[in-house]
Amino acid sequence: MTTATEDRKAEEHKTEAPGLWDALRHLPANVWHSVFRNPLPSTDLGRASTSFTNFFLHIHPVKVNKNTLRPIYTLGLGLISLFLFLILVVTGVLLMFYYVPSTTQAYDRMLDLRGTVAFGIFLRNMHRWSAHAMVGVVFLHMCRVFLTGAYKKPREFNWVIGVVLLLVTLFLSFTGYLLPWDQLAFWAITVGTSIAAYAPLVGKQIQFVLLGDTTVGQEALLRFYVLHVAVLPGLMVLLLAIHFWRIRKDGGLSRPESSPAQKPLVKVRMDLQKKIYGLQGFVRGPFTKLGNVPDDSVYSWPNLLMAELFVFVLTVSVILVLSLAFSAPLEQPVNVMHPPNPAKAPWYFLGLQEMVSYSAFWGGIGVPTIFVLLLLLAPYIDRSPQGVGKWFARERLLANTIFLTLAVLNVIFIIIGTFFRGPNWTFVSPF
Amino acid sequence: MAVVSKSPDKEQDMPRRRVFSWLAGIGLGGSAALAAVSDWLFFKPRVTYGPSARFAIGKPDDFPSGTRISRDVERVCIVREGNRLAAISTTCTHLGCIVGISDTGFSCPCHGSRYDQDGTVTGGPAPKPLPWFKVSLAPNGELEIDKNITVDPGTYLSV
Repeated sequence: MTTATEDRKAEEHKTEAPGLWDALRHLPANVWHSVFRNPLPSTDLGRASTSFTNFFLHIHPVKVNKNTLRPIYTLGLGLISLFLFLILVVTGVLLMFYYVPSTTQAYDRMLDLRGTVAFGIFLRNMHRWSAHAMVGVVFLHMCRVFLTGAYKKPREFNWVIGVVLLLVTLFLSFTGYLLPWDQLAFWAITVGTSIAAYAPLVGKQIQFVLLGDTTVGQEALLRFYVLHVAVLPGLMVLLLAIHFWRIRKDGGLSRPESSPAQKPLVKVRMDLQKKIYGLQGFVRGPFTKLGNVPDDSVYSWPNLLMAELFVFVLTVSVILVLSLAFSAPLEQPVNVMHPPNPAKAPWYFLGLQEMVSYSAFWGGIGVPTIFVLLLLLAPYIDRSPQGVGKWFARERLLANTIFLTLAVLNVIFIIIGTFFRGPNWTFVSPF
Repeated sequence: MAVVSKSPDKEQDMPRRRVFSWLAGIGLGGSAALAAVSDWLFFKPRVTYGPSARFAIGKPDDFPSGTRISRDVERVCIVREGNRLAAISTTCTHLGCIVGISDTGFSCPCHGSRYDQDGTVTGGPAPKPLPWFKVSLAPNGELEIDKNITVDPGTYLSV
């Protein structure tokens, strides 16, 4: 079949190559070793090379601090968010093959996912539940970072990027909400974009540009679709890349200050030190330094990778089980003349809607804006370097109390809006 | 561009370089602002493909005195009292649901906002009264409503 090519190859290497037979015999091994340059490592040098010679692995540092691997410290929330995003990208791209962003076809395509497309309903369930989960997990990740004081110097700007990532996550989820074009979608987006219209001066304009029209219709569906499948995921990937890159540049995950006196310095082979850490010697910053600091670190391969694999398998399993057990809701097709009673925004905006029912401007715009500004500015307001790397550090009692109060209030408002509001937005008991 | 290190007093001797830096900065910043404005203009549609904001609803005789008819497709309520006629919006000013006609005026099924016969808020979370739209008589004798133009509440068209 490819004899000609192999002949030519064999000719080229005539001077040094063994014969064609040898080349063929070693072909699988040669291909394998050209792709994976290093064998599975059994030495520290090998473990280090594994991390930095592999394209997919070299996002990791060669060594990580032991604190990074403590499940109780990070709860794996950032990783879970990333893996949920990956699930969303994969299932989302698959769903795109069958979806048409048209008011006359979108709903029928939803029914087709249920009825005719193999695994259609399952993919939609996975996409839906991952999206809901991602909003929740990203929020919890933010809580973790705040409550462990991890946003402090030098990680201030990564916190800011994180807050923007939370907003992008919310907006991604919100734009996806309209696409099934059922009653739930239509009225949730009507209500949600009406909240945006309460912004002073530009509110109506923003609503108009967002919807491409004065009411939710074909233009809004197309705009939300493009935002959902192209613009926002692109922005998300870019911000994620910066977020991860900065984790490395800011010296890895936050951790309590180590006490240098207590632990023995580690002895490092000279060639290892030179090969791996030579370049880092030129760079200022809190890097893992070998030979001159107590060694609280372990090799990323296999310690960090196994931890990541574990979180990945766990995340995928939970989403798979959820998608098998529960189906994503699909209500009646859009009827623009019959709003459901009560019409509710997506659950993560129900806290806003609850506040809007008290005061339109303050609930919908004023309070959320102050919240977001406070979050963005938190690392620049709280400049004390104390209490980093510890849950609920005593030194951070005030900051943690303020943050927890606001976070819990938000959750309470969402719970009230979701479960305790019935027809005409009157108070009902869900029990 | 080559970066040459220089002493602070040498810098003072070169105001030209600084002027050019400023000019370049203003140029780039201006371009960015221009791009932002262009983007905004691009995303703000000049025509919309949804239902027209200006539409005819029929002859005045189609609406006898005492009529209060809600047209849910266009989201207006046609009110006729004697020989006076007006069009009141039925889009709730709270969160955009369609209000229904009730005995006392209008009420919103979504979050319980209530309005009186003239669209003034009487209860619920609605922040503003229902706007009134301009009604005019077209040359062919049909009534025309323009939802782009709001008029003061209580402004009727005599027919």
